[in-house]
Amino acid sequence: MINVLLWAPLAFGLVGLFLPRRAAGPWAVLGALVTLGVAVGMTIGFNQGDSGLQYVESTPWISGLGVDYSLGLDGLNLFLVLLTALLWTGGIAFAAFRDYERPKTFFLLMLMAETATLGSFLAQDLLLFVLFFDFMLVPFYFLFGAWGHDRTAEGGPTAWAATLKMIIYTLIGSLLMLVAAIATAIISADGGHITFSIQALQEQGLSLGSQRWIFWFFAAAFLVKMPAFLVHGWMPDAYRAAPLPVLAVFSGVLAKVGAYGFLRIVLPLFPEATIEYQEVVLVIALASILYGSVMAFTQTNVRLIAGYSSVAQLGFITAGIFALRADGSDGAVLQMVNHGLVVAPIFVIVAILFERTGSEDIREMGGMALRAPVLAALFLIVALATLAMPGSSNFVGEFYILNGLFQAKIVFAFIAISGVAMSAYYALRLYQGAMHNRKPEGLLSREIGWRDAVVLVPLVLCILGLALYPQLILKRTNPSVQQTVAKVTGGSAPQSKLAAQTEESGWTGYAPIGDR
Amino acid sequence: WRVMRGRTAGWIGTIAIGLAFVCAIGATASLLGHTESDRQLTSSLWTYASAAGLDIKLGILVDPLSAFMILVVSGVSTLIHLYSVAYLDSDRGYSRYFAYLNFFVFSMLLLVLAGNFVLLIVGWAFVGFASYALISFWYRRETATRAGMKAFVINVVGDIGLVLAAFLIFRELGSFDYGTVFAKAPEVFSTNQWSVTAICLLLLVGAFAKSAQLPLHTWLPDAMEGPTPVSSLIHAATMVTAGVYLIARTHALFVLAPTAADIAAFVGLATLLVAATIALVMTDLKRAIAYSTMSQIGYMVVGVSIGAYGAGMFHLMTHAFFKALLFMAAGSIIAAMANEQNIDRMSGFGRAMRFTSVTMLCGGLALAAFPLTSGFFSKDEILAYAGARGGMYITFTVLGYFGAFLTAIYTFRLIFRVLQGEPCAEARELIETGHVHHAHPFNPATGEEEDTDVGFPGPEHHIAESSAPMRVAMAVLAFLALVGGLVQVPGVDNVIANWLDPVFADSPLAAIHPSTEWSWIGLGIGGVISLAGIWVAHWLYIANPERPRALEQRLQGVHDFLFRKWYFDEAIDVLVVRPALAVGRFANRVFERFVVDGLVNGTEETVRGTSGVIRAVQNGFVRSYALLLIAGFAGLALYFLLSSS
Repeated sequence: MINVLLWAPLAFGLVGLFLPRRAAGPWAVLGALVTLGVAVGMTIGFNQGDSGLQYVESTPWISGLGVDYSLGLDGLNLFLVLLTALLWTGGIAFAAFRDYERPKTFFLLMLMAETATLGSFLAQDLLLFVLFFDFMLVPFYFLFGAWGHDRTAEGGPTAWAATLKMIIYTLIGSLLMLVAAIATAIISADGGHITFSIQALQEQGLSLGSQRWIFWFFAAAFLVKMPAFLVHGWMPDAYRAAPLPVLAVFSGVLAKVGAYGFLRIVLPLFPEATIEYQEVVLVIALASILYGSVMAFTQTNVRLIAGYSSVAQLGFITAGIFALRADGSDGAVLQMVNHGLVVAPIFVIVAILFERTGSEDIREMGGMALRAPVLAALFLIVALATLAMPGSSNFVGEFYILNGLFQAKIVFAFIAISGVAMSAYYALRLYQGAMHNRKPEGLLSREIGWRDAVVLVPLVLCILGLALYPQLILKRTNPSVQQTVAKVTGGSAPQSKLAAQTEESGWTGYAPIGDR
Repeated sequence: WRVMRGRTAGWIGTIAIGLAFVCAIGATASLLGHTESDRQLTSSLWTYASAAGLDIKLGILVDPLSAFMILVVSGVSTLIHLYSVAYLDSDRGYSRYFAYLNFFVFSMLLLVLAGNFVLLIVGWAFVGFASYALISFWYRRETATRAGMKAFVINVVGDIGLVLAAFLIFRELGSFDYGTVFAKAPEVFSTNQWSVTAICLLLLVGAFAKSAQLPLHTWLPDAMEGPTPVSSLIHAATMVTAGVYLIARTHALFVLAPTAADIAAFVGLATLLVAATIALVMTDLKRAIAYSTMSQIGYMVVGVSIGAYGAGMFHLMTHAFFKALLFMAAGSIIAAMANEQNIDRMSGFGRAMRFTSVTMLCGGLALAAFPLTSGFFSKDEILAYAGARGGMYITFTVLGYFGAFLTAIYTFRLIFRVLQGEPCAEARELIETGHVHHAHPFNPATGEEEDTDVGFPGPEHHIAESSAPMRVAMAVLAFLALVGGLVQVPGVDNVIANWLDPVFADSPLAAIHPSTEWSWIGLGIGGVISLAGIWVAHWLYIANPERPRALEQRLQGVHDFLFRKWYFDEAIDVLVVRPALAVGRFANRVFERFVVDGLVNGTEETVRGTSGVIRAVQNGFVRSYALLLIAGFAGLALYFLLSSS
């Protein structure tokens, strides 16, 4: 089952090469739907009380090196897999209704990207994870470069140049991660049998000295991917270059691989370093929140408003994970799904707006709500979810994250929450700018067509459904999250050497309820 | 251009809220079936978000306080809906209007019925969003969309205060549930302990943002961009009373943090005086009434903060009656003026619109606390309590009476200027021809032409005289505004306070009661002050109509200061908005270009300059990358081969 989930997209993509051009789109949609069906089936069959891995698939792959082909689902990745399958279906369907050059290659690359992304979520072997993580770049490199937009007229780079910049950034992180992964296995083995299994490595443990540098090598890869503050330099150019349906899945899912990496690998494998560098990462996360928010409300390009808002949102998610409390990480996992569910529709809407205005500048939009009330209503729901309006699932995610942060490091929570006020402004500004005020001359204000509605409405329904019942996700992720966080803090019974220190870590720290 | 024919949407909306009112009566009746100490019903729909020690259910709580609130909210809202059925009739956004309006009432009911702090925050934010949607209802007006945004963002600041308060409550008491929190609070907190004070101050941030208290009030006057019945709804039934409700609901915490309660009371006092002075000079009819609301909410905040819970809630109710009525009357006049809101251009409507002017007078008398009207009893009860509590609380009585004096002046300034005098052109047209004046639609604030496509009132303006639903709604409210105060007359009856008694029984402050004699002495003083204020207004605006102009010129500085609303907008602009935008611009122009990109370009150039190998990697990138991966794995394999041998 789990193998079908992983390889179905790629298989469909390859078969698609032998079909006529016109069938490529529908075929790819079918492939994505099948994958989504499998993912939904696995979610239904998921045993929600269990904190361990389910649907485990493990066969030795390169036995000499201790590399296994091992996959598995647990609370951490279950909904990220579902999100991946869902957003890819939406993105591919959106593209299938439009004319793209060389459709067969385009859809092959899209489906290949889906397999790579699913692989990095499912992999339970460190080297397999690194492989899939790097493999993700290849299809996106071609998709951004060949089908992207040159911005030379606006004084920006060409699509290929922008993509190259992204690749350089990501690759530096990836190579560091590769080195770190190999080092982890070798140092852990300590001359004995080498294994790359994440489960096995957790039990072996590393010395604090090794953990320190390996932590940062992994963190570099994940922070670039998000992107976090100061290493987000690739984001503006790449976001402006990317074709929109591709950007929807890219922004919706790939950023979460970074945050997920922290939960899956960094916390359990390097618990002491995690505690040691908790505040450093929190500072980076806070900087991402503030910087992303401030940038988002001064941008005029709608892609970049969404892009910088993602920087801020990923800052929240990172902060939730590094609160090192179960509630913070629960919120982070929930928020990863929520953010994917809102940012992908935003890019779909941006594409729809672009077809009507011929511009991506918010100053050249406006007044569309009159002739396109359904589009306006859908956009409004997405915008409100983006700003984490209470009553949305995003609010629950942010509430959990900030509560975790508040109880762990109160000062950080007070700073982080200012990002919430700013998000209200930029999200509403985005909505108002496109839908309200006067309509500029020459703007085609027409209602959303059924082709776009087919893509957008299900995503909005997911947002609404989760808003009513976020427990759907929390219930299933919580056991695994509790277990992961307990590996760092030791839960109620400290296991880690440094666990005691987290409770008395100076003026930003806290004392839990029971212990006073 | 209407999905549903005619007034269907309006009637559906009205009936829905009417049913809510019936249910509210049912809830109250079922509470009456319980003994006093047992009047607390909880119920939860489903587990909303419970994990990792946080237990959040969709739980509601019906106790005398929430029952009282849902009665007022749904009752007054039904009348406002009824009024809107006719008033908005020619608006193109008719269905959208009622969708928003019903959502607004739903949100407010959710807010007052919530059984835990998380659901309270949800209702709280829904109310904020509904106000945004209705304020920017005519969304092609730039002034309206900006006002909506302002209301929303300031309300989000309030939400943040509430969220932080909830976190602190959870940290100290381990629960979000009202029952647990209020039961545990006295055991955990000592009086004025920093944490309970911090919780109360954070709650106040939320309360002040929603209830338009200083300095988070600037959204309220701008909210007048929305259709007039919306103002009526925001000011009377929903939204602004939420802060008062919150303080009353969390009184168990405020009792433990008397410092925070005193801060709240003094902010309320400052707001009531500041707003009253601004209302004296406003020339926009709706904005003047809006400042009056701020001022009256100030009285309620003072009331519930110093311990006059019953009196505060009583004033909330009477204010809902007469303020809803005043806005309805104002709406009728503004419709007759073809959307002109400036009172400088209005006069003589007393003869032109009999029904509207009589009901407006009823509302005005209640607002000015004319003897035996509803506002007369409720306002004085708060001030009498403050006097009975003694000590520094006498300040509230004295300055409260001064505020009441200003209230009477500004209320009758509006009434005399709008209803009396030589009829203006629009009023004359109405008297002579019986037709409502038609003007070309333009935005009075900016002078720009209105976009009539977007539900701006069409040529048919609706005034109460010609629309039965409007007349019914206004007549009921006029009756309530006049006699609504009789439920709580000192020495005679005490209906509301007795009903709310079980909720506030745990507060030591609830035991303080002004004696009946002192209450009547207070009422006497209040009556005299009210009459004096009305007399001053008469002297200024009827007897000596030239006098106000002369005063204005003599006190130019003071007038400008008040007319610019104490420069609050300007201060917020300079202190918050501009710095934030400047930081954004700096980040955009300098930081992004030189630091973030500089980092890369620098690295790139160094790499290019030093290493030809790397350049090759960058050129044939993907191929080289694959090679590099393979080479990496090969190296790895080699390492293992060597190390294992």
